[in-house]
Amino acid sequence: MAFREAVAQAAASVRHLVQRFSLALLVSAAVGTMLIGKADTVLLERVRAAALDLATPLLEAISRPVATVNQLITDIEDLADLRAENARLREENARLLAWQSVARRLEVENAELRGLLNFKEGPQAGFITARVVGDSGSAFVRSMLLNVGRRAGVAGGQAVVTGEGLIGRITEVGEGWSRVLLLSDLSFRLPVLVERTRERAILTGDNSAMPKLSMAQSVVGIQVGDRIITSGHGGSFPVGIPVGVVTSTTDGSIRVKPLGDTTRLEFVRVIDYGITGLVTGPAPPQEMYGPPLPPAGLRPAGAGK
Amino acid sequence: MNDFLHQLDRWLYAAWPGALVGLLILLTMAPIRLPDALTVAPLLPLMAVYHFCLFRAEALPAWLLFLLGVLFDLLQGGPGTPVGVSALQFLLVRQAILGNQKYLVAVSFTFIWLGYALLSAAAVTLSWITMALLSWRFIDPQPALFQYVVSLFLYPIFGWVMGRGRPRDPLNAPEARP
Repeated sequence: MAFREAVAQAAASVRHLVQRFSLALLVSAAVGTMLIGKADTVLLERVRAAALDLATPLLEAISRPVATVNQLITDIEDLADLRAENARLREENARLLAWQSVARRLEVENAELRGLLNFKEGPQAGFITARVVGDSGSAFVRSMLLNVGRRAGVAGGQAVVTGEGLIGRITEVGEGWSRVLLLSDLSFRLPVLVERTRERAILTGDNSAMPKLSMAQSVVGIQVGDRIITSGHGGSFPVGIPVGVVTSTTDGSIRVKPLGDTTRLEFVRVIDYGITGLVTGPAPPQEMYGPPLPPAGLRPAGAGK
Repeated sequence: MNDFLHQLDRWLYAAWPGALVGLLILLTMAPIRLPDALTVAPLLPLMAVYHFCLFRAEALPAWLLFLLGVLFDLLQGGPGTPVGVSALQFLLVRQAILGNQKYLVAVSFTFIWLGYALLSAAAVTLSWITMALLSWRFIDPQPALFQYVVSLFLYPIFGWVMGRGRPRDPLNAPEARP
């Protein structure tokens, strides 16, 4: 009897030990996965892709009613300031009509000059329209999930835009899903141009709403209100997609407010530029000889909006 | 038939906490954008983990929390983001609750809320420090702080909704048991 009791007691203490040990084991497993993810990204990306393959259909199912609710809220908000909005749009329309005539004139002039110089245009960009089915929702990761993937022709490195401007870049692609890394994410880097001065710079996300502009050259001459556009360096982005507007230039740190609003997005467009693979892809296109690049707004990528 | 229903009831009862945490993970990912300012989703999965570890810790074993946390990180993160932070958060919250159960069981809701405030603050700080260490740079803590505060004020609603279900537990209504 005493023996049986002893066995039971031993079993209980072993179980207790295993329970206690299991926590330590799981905690170290969690820390281990973090470190593995840092060292061997390929393995983890594969597991991640599998998880997302499973989750995306569910997310897509959730996103439909969510979009309806969001739409309803927007509608109600819109009703409240319909009059003011109308007046604003009328004014904007008048302004845009004036711009349109300018753009037409410049387009013709541009085409003629290009004909004269035998200017070689970059590849034509195509669009893939996608539904936003997920959002990272995290305080440290800024990304979105789209319902298009390899099947639709999406590839890593492609630019993702809304009607207003660039919002991010495709970083992961599955069969039927892809992930957009947003401008504000910590690991986002983008070669850009200051539209007015044509100065090159790098846009760096740092988890805040306003990404930072690290200047490759001097910071002198950048003013609040300057527009930032993609420079096309690195090869995967078309030149001249509007990115943001400089909002502050205090003590050497230049902040840019992105033009593309990422809240309440339902659809976005992925720009298929024909060249993909920012890091591993072919060498970036050669610098073109001849006159400076034409103004950004008149290139086909910008005109498609 | 009745036996089967009872059995089903018990299974569902046992699976409910894990399933809810999973569902909330998906809901966090859903592109819901109610107020404009809220660019980050509230910490819904963490709330559920806290709630169930408090009242039904046996239904959320450590291994399940580990798996759910890893799943959460896999779905949320882009390339280069650490996988396992949420798992670590969940496991430590569970352990902290199990170690301090005497302060948290059979106390008023204010204390439960206070406990949530402390533990979720620790959890958010943990993930912030981990992210900063692994990426080796300063990360703007404002979104995380915002997320924490919003979640803090959502918790009473969450706790109330969850509390509505509790009187119907088979454990609280012995006659419902087969």
